[in-house]
Amino acid sequence: MPALTLIFPESEESTGLAVRYDYDGWLVRRFIEYVPDVQNFMGKMERPPTQYIRVNTLKTGREELEGRLRSKGFELKRTAIPEVLAVKKAPMSAGATNEYLLGHYYIQDLSSCMAVDALDASENHAALDVAAAPGGKTTFMAQRMNNAGQIVALEPNEKRVRSMSFNLARCGVYNTCILRMDGLQAEKLQSKFDRVLLDAPCSCEGVIAKDAKRKTSHTPEDVDYCSSRQDRLIEVAARMVKPGGILVYSTCSFAPEENEMVVDRLLKKSGNISVEPTKHGSSGLTRFGDMAFDGQLKNARRLYPHMHDTTGFFIARLRVD
Amino acid sequence: MTYRKPTREETTLINRALGRWGVFEFFKGRSLVIQENGSKTVCLVPGGLEAVMHMQPYLAGLAIGELKKQFVPSMAGADLFARSGKRNEFYVTVNENAEKLVLYGRDVMGESIVEASDTLGENELVIILNGWLEAIGIGRTRFAGRSLLQKGKATVTTLMDAGYYLREEG
Repeated sequence: MPALTLIFPESEESTGLAVRYDYDGWLVRRFIEYVPDVQNFMGKMERPPTQYIRVNTLKTGREELEGRLRSKGFELKRTAIPEVLAVKKAPMSAGATNEYLLGHYYIQDLSSCMAVDALDASENHAALDVAAAPGGKTTFMAQRMNNAGQIVALEPNEKRVRSMSFNLARCGVYNTCILRMDGLQAEKLQSKFDRVLLDAPCSCEGVIAKDAKRKTSHTPEDVDYCSSRQDRLIEVAARMVKPGGILVYSTCSFAPEENEMVVDRLLKKSGNISVEPTKHGSSGLTRFGDMAFDGQLKNARRLYPHMHDTTGFFIARLRVD
Repeated sequence: MTYRKPTREETTLINRALGRWGVFEFFKGRSLVIQENGSKTVCLVPGGLEAVMHMQPYLAGLAIGELKKQFVPSMAGADLFARSGKRNEFYVTVNENAEKLVLYGRDVMGESIVEASDTLGENELVIILNGWLEAIGIGRTRFAGRSLLQKGKATVTTLMDAGYYLREEG
């Protein structure tokens, strides 16, 4: 059974921050435990997050897109991921240009692209995207695979599947099959994959800057629920990986119960999985409250809005032997 | 939704269309399947997905067009054709102003056409390109040859446009 979400005692600092920024107290008390420089972090969450676009190299090149958008008045800045550009100034919505309609780019946070970067998928791979809609990571995978190999994308929700199919068509992706299926049922596929991405449904703590309702709308029970479901999903996802293959587990939450603890439990159960280092972000936690995790968790990565200018995110690259 | 290989007759129709759009060579050796869902959609699919094709995927590969009496490209198909093939007389290029209008589903005025073949007939299916030679729509000619360029008249009816993705998704 997954552990229940840890709640910490009130302090003058936590009460002050909760009042100042209109958060539920329990959430701030937890942030103090696992977010570095929490004052700066909470200030950053009040400001609109940087918008990023990902160049769709299946249709255009970075330089060409930069030129076309700059001629319309956009100011763009390159990032650590070559295909991703930060939008510093936009004379119109990034979703309203002809280039967007023609699928030359996808509006996607840098952190999401880092998860796909960690997957390191290439042309000869068979890949599985376990919780795929709306398709941002799937289309980036297809792009990194040069529209070759095969991607199987799973999504149970009909409306989200439809929206995903539009995104794939707009981006010109043809190496992907979408199945209406819950990730927990993935073993029905009776196949194993070189690369598996599980961007798990989560409590979305990391996107508070985009959706301020989350300051008060979720509860410790929601974290418990997500953590329990993530445990089941990651076990299935790990079984879908070919020996020697890679599973990337990610969430847009900061909660250790949804991140390090999920991976830690998998490591303890499996015995054939290791956490490999990835390029971007801060080290994963190896302790939380009175718990100690497998030392390999330091290889997992945490992305913090105030430190990495992304939405909050967690990425673990797992090798399955 | 079910998927199957095209029949011999369907293959003939598809190949004829691929030849028309100048992409026959591009599609050589690639796998096409028919998705049946009331209509017959032609999908370009990757090899190696046989194991999941029997599970009735919501989408397999890229829907490049629909088989009716003839093959009618989808926007995704038109985009792929324009990028991958030899553009021929069935591609019509329009100016920047017309591009904006086509992306809202509007028809093409004669004076907006930058390039159209003299040999293009009336009532022909064409792929509408912008100045970057990217597919922005699919249309049908209302006039033939040089008459397509006549001022003050809509000379190509826009049947589909790339703005469709946003309007439909929204």
